[in-house]
Amino acid sequence: MNRVLRSNPVREALRVAIAVAVALTLGFIVTLFVSEDPVGAYKAFLFGPVSRLNRFGDWIEESITLIFLGLAVALVFKASQFSLGQEGQMVLGALVAGAVALYVPLPGILRIPLGLLAAMVVGFLWGMLPGFLKAYVEADEIVSTLMLNVVALKIYEYLLTYKIKPPDAGYTASATFPDPGILPTFLPPLPFLAEIRQLFMQRTNISIALYLVLAAVVVVYLLMYRMPFGYELRMVGANLRFARYGGIHTRRTIMLSMAVSGIFAGLAGAHLAMGIHRKLILNITFGLGFEGIVVSLLARNNPLAVPLTGLAYGYLRAGADVMERSSDVSREMVLVIQAVIILLVTAERILPMVQRRIAARRSAPGAAQTPEPAPASGPAKGDA
Amino acid sequence: MSIGLVLRGIFSALFVASVLRISTPLILPALGGLISDLAGVINIALEGIMLVAAFTGVVVSAYTQNVWLGVLAGLAVGTLFSLILALFHLYLKTDIILAGIALNIMAQGGTVFLLFTLTGDKGSSASLASGTVPRVVIPLLHDVPVLGTILSGHHIFTYLAFLLAVVVAVFLYRTPLGTHLRAVGENPEAAASVGINVVRVQTIAIGLSGLLASLGGLSLSMAYLSFFQNNMTAGRGFIALAAIFLGGRTPWGTLLAAVFFGFADALANQFGSLQVPPQWVQMIPYAATVIALVVYNVRRRRQAIERARRMQEQLHAQGTAFGGGD
Repeated sequence: MNRVLRSNPVREALRVAIAVAVALTLGFIVTLFVSEDPVGAYKAFLFGPVSRLNRFGDWIEESITLIFLGLAVALVFKASQFSLGQEGQMVLGALVAGAVALYVPLPGILRIPLGLLAAMVVGFLWGMLPGFLKAYVEADEIVSTLMLNVVALKIYEYLLTYKIKPPDAGYTASATFPDPGILPTFLPPLPFLAEIRQLFMQRTNISIALYLVLAAVVVVYLLMYRMPFGYELRMVGANLRFARYGGIHTRRTIMLSMAVSGIFAGLAGAHLAMGIHRKLILNITFGLGFEGIVVSLLARNNPLAVPLTGLAYGYLRAGADVMERSSDVSREMVLVIQAVIILLVTAERILPMVQRRIAARRSAPGAAQTPEPAPASGPAKGDA
Repeated sequence: MSIGLVLRGIFSALFVASVLRISTPLILPALGGLISDLAGVINIALEGIMLVAAFTGVVVSAYTQNVWLGVLAGLAVGTLFSLILALFHLYLKTDIILAGIALNIMAQGGTVFLLFTLTGDKGSSASLASGTVPRVVIPLLHDVPVLGTILSGHHIFTYLAFLLAVVVAVFLYRTPLGTHLRAVGENPEAAASVGINVVRVQTIAIGLSGLLASLGGLSLSMAYLSFFQNNMTAGRGFIALAAIFLGGRTPWGTLLAAVFFGFADALANQFGSLQVPPQWVQMIPYAATVIALVVYNVRRRRQAIERARRMQEQLHAQGTAFGGGD
């Protein structure tokens, strides 16, 4: 049992599980205080996303955006670059994808790849800018990315308000994209589940973004663990001086880590525009700014775990939406739950402390077990 | 003609007064952020602390019908909220950026959640009868034509902001604690080796940054406006961070940068009344910060190279003096 506990992935999973459990309990206690029907509200929160097919679809769509963002963050955090620029990359990705969807008169089979490509390129470039500044003039990436986020948001707002919005529109939004600019839904025809497939196609908007995001997970994994670039990136992240000493072109790696990360944030933006909203709206990235960080963090920056945490996190968000619509508890409660999860998961000392307590209690009654050495002050320092 | 209108707008006393007013909720958190930044603990949570304090002040003043109780409660809760950051970063070893992000998320969600629970409204606390702090009319100055308009009649937080800039400068550079604080930020190991309690100093620094950010938050909800609004800080906590860097991490520079950002904001308002897209003006503070960051770093690096070169020359000179070959 103890051997299992000490193995790293299990420990990480346990840490996350404990954090989520504590946070959800806390959320329930809060619900008890504010709701007339706390049990009903919490039920809606916990089971809402799977209670109807369309809600299930919303959950998956939400999760797709989060997984793209989580991948973006995993890449850049693995290089120990604390880029917080995903929101800017995302909003510009949405902008160019939307522009392609609206204005490029190509059939869907070309227009959609072009839109996605444009979002990837813009994300890459908008990530490369702070990356360059960090690598070559040592400008702190936290500050520069936070600033560039606002610059990107303002560019988006300006173009949307003054160039893209149809003059007769009552509120600030683009026209709805024409069909060739919308990510199509597609499920492979299966001989046995034909009816279920039919239902999904009718009731949900799960689009080809689902396959894109799965492909992206594989690509990021291969990039990080099977390619020289990934090796360099991880070396830079683990120990910059050592990496430099080992002959790695650290400046270029830093710059590229932030740029390549931007590709996936850009794709998240494209998904928002061409998949979820199907038009450009003001505040299109609202509430998503830092969510990729949380998703990646819960996955310990492991790209293969990002889909899981993305789905889990998307589930919380989708559940909160259902709760708000069907009870007297507002969806913002989930933000507090999320914050508690982040704090508990990232607190390096909490789990070792708990383990030590358990170990102490176990050895106190003179149990037959060999006395367990207290774990070193914290598990191998996390990537985050 | 539009340029002329804008220029006339900028050079009016009312405009200058509005710059001071708009700068207040930037100066206060920026000064707070400066203290914690100099202590080596960057406080990303300024935004969240401001929100929490702004919200608490409004709610407490509405329920007690006492403005000052509201202010006190806002300061207390905001500061306590900032100490969560200290607890998690300093004692439980959470990464400070991530803890800061978590606190911001918590503040944004928590305030709206409670607002909805208390008022049934997610947008603002307009239905609560909360108070505002009184305006300060400076007796004689108030009647002087231009100066009176500029300097008199502001809310108390505005005067406090400028006063606190002086206090923070004195604190950082003229008191033992301030010196310890900067030493800790400069090199924690070295500071610890001479007997400074690093964790204690950093806890104090975060607490002070929380106190000042709380003042900033209160100045929004109890002076600038008379109610709390969903996400009413609107990124001011991040602008405050930017002001610190733009100001070269000094009190005067930070003050100046914050006022500059206030100026840009006031300018954007002016442009808003014309046909000029306000987004371009709103962008200025952020773009300026990135540029300043670059300039600052390039200069610092050049200085470092210069220093290294000089030292090498000295060594070389010594080397030849001792007759040591190459």
